[in-house]
Amino acid sequence: MPLYECNEQQFVENIRRMIESSERFLVNRKINLHDDARYGPATLPDSEFEKYAALFFRKSLRSTVFSRTPFIDDFHKRMYDQDENLHASSNLKFPRISIPYYRVEYSINLWGGTYFFAFDALFNSEILLEKRKGKLLGKEGSLIHVLKFNPPDENVLNINLPKGVMVFDVKNMIKVIDYTSNF
Amino acid sequence: MRHNQHLKSISVYVPIEKVEANLSEIGFQCVGSSTIVADGKFWKKMLYVNKEETISVSEEIGDAYPKDPIITICGSKYTISSIIEGVKN
Repeated sequence: MPLYECNEQQFVENIRRMIESSERFLVNRKINLHDDARYGPATLPDSEFEKYAALFFRKSLRSTVFSRTPFIDDFHKRMYDQDENLHASSNLKFPRISIPYYRVEYSINLWGGTYFFAFDALFNSEILLEKRKGKLLGKEGSLIHVLKFNPPDENVLNINLPKGVMVFDVKNMIKVIDYTSNF
Repeated sequence: MRHNQHLKSISVYVPIEKVEANLSEIGFQCVGSSTIVADGKFWKKMLYVNKEETISVSEEIGDAYPKDPIITICGSKYTISSIIEGVKN
């Protein structure tokens, strides 16, 4: 079964054509959380990196990223010191601090082919100053910066479709070989 | 009236500011945004809502040129034509 990759515009326009031709179809949607170090601060575009500017600094895109101040990564439950190397320019594929994301995949099956559109939605950063206790922070606790990663709103992840278009959420797509066509 | 809604996705070579001004003019408000990565590029995806009509606008982040925001509309025929006319002028 061929698999055709579309961008957002192509995918939506294909759905529109199918609606207009009164073709019956179903849209499948798969949303999975990933935290596999795919996205690190060194490779973020400047406008996105600015959101972390209170904690991180770098010379330019793809330069090594260091911590500006001690902070706790609340998502990964890890503490970083000041001037710690967070994402080395010599090792861009393996950041020491990574941004979690949702992998969103939309697909439709038509006449034996699968047409899909996929994207990754990065978690939103939030930087707070909180009083935390711990081995390094003492029993009484101290004020420290806390980096939180909040999942993006679901309505932003959705492709908005007219009523009547059914969207099924799926966990995985397993390819099945249709041997009946051999007989 | 969601059953009267139509679907349209267009890619336009106009600045995002013009698209935003056009959407605001016809009553749409931005209710959320998220950073996404598609086709190996970073995009800012924004959601605009006006009653039951929704529009998402995705614009590539960074110094890419030319910029061609993708506008996906789920709304009335009137809204679709207003937006297409608005970004043409």
